[in-house]
Amino acid sequence: MTAIILERVVIERGPLRLEGDLRLGPGLHAVTGRVGSGKSTLALALAGGIRPAAGTVRLEGIGRRLWVGHDPVVHLTGGTVAAEVASWRVEPDSLLSSLGLADRARDDPFHLSLGMQKRLVLGCALAARADLLVLDEPFASLDLPARARLERALTARDGTTVVMTHADRHLPPGTTRWRIEGGRVRPEGP
Amino acid sequence: MIALSGVRARTLSIDSLAIPPGLTAVVGLNGTGKTTLLEACTGLLLPDEGTILVDGLPPREVDAGWVSASPDRSLLFSRVDDELASPGRFAGLSPIETAARATGAAERAGAVRHLSRSVRTLSGGERGVVALAAALASQPTVLALDEFDGFLDRETLDDLIPAARDSGARFVLWSTHDRELTRAADHAIALGGGGVAGTGAAALALFDAWERAA
Repeated sequence: MTAIILERVVIERGPLRLEGDLRLGPGLHAVTGRVGSGKSTLALALAGGIRPAAGTVRLEGIGRRLWVGHDPVVHLTGGTVAAEVASWRVEPDSLLSSLGLADRARDDPFHLSLGMQKRLVLGCALAARADLLVLDEPFASLDLPARARLERALTARDGTTVVMTHADRHLPPGTTRWRIEGGRVRPEGP
Repeated sequence: MIALSGVRARTLSIDSLAIPPGLTAVVGLNGTGKTTLLEACTGLLLPDEGTILVDGLPPREVDAGWVSASPDRSLLFSRVDDELASPGRFAGLSPIETAARATGAAERAGAVRHLSRSVRTLSGGERGVVALAAALASQPTVLALDEFDGFLDRETLDDLIPAARDSGARFVLWSTHDRELTRAADHAIALGGGGVAGTGAAALALFDAWERAA
């Protein structure tokens, strides 16, 4: 069982202040909120990139945390698409064929379109099997079939998965929903 | 009219295409050439072959505005007010005219409350809104919005569709994966199979096929 628990946490970043008291157990969680509400800030705090100003963050059964930002380019380090996959310690051949990128293995990842770069980075992140995976706007830049494949991959994953998203129609049934409003992170819906 | 004929650019081939004035949604799966089409129509990319004319002029002789698919790559300056003033300053306008354009653009894009902020503190979606305002401040003839709606919530997007249409730009080319935006646009162009896969209702109908494929 994996869980990340935020106990009376206060996160401050620039003009933004967020409060939350939440437990994110195994499975898929989605955090929605309007533009500028603090989704990316919460993502960084969950991934350990920002230390809360108050409160505690506890991890249960979570060793490896992985964060993927909205812009795939910040994650690209490989000189070729295949080298990029290998840099995530993932075997390139089978991953690239499942992503529809087998014929681009020797290309510079910077020559891919933004949507293809996004598929590549998300595919690597999913294959890297982190206990906690935090994805900031993962559906942005993906076409509709790619969004549906991502939805299935997120549901099939072990561990705790958190997506920050505007595209809430792409969330599979069973997703635990949270919403940021007025500086507070709250559970949403039934 | 933006008239394309015999155009070959990267993986995209378009024998003949006419884009009327107004808001045009450009749709298609990843890697079908949406960004390439926008780049070619704004003069950022010269096609390998063929000609593109915007009301009879090559794209590089026509003022263009560009908002990137990646919100971090659209902004040059560290302050929002400097970003919005930059088109006027680069054009050598008077300070009064520069400020008037910046303020007008901020109002149309819904970016007024960000004016005194540092770009560093803006979220991804807010950067998109500011980038749209900066593009409007240059009063472009062709405004290209490259999938920037991917980072916007529904309410913000619904406000920006009329803002883009009424921006004063004669041609607004907006690449998107959003069906409602495509439906709301004046025209739609779908790319696929290395070229244009359909226009108008045929482009909109492809969303059904893509959802079935999903």
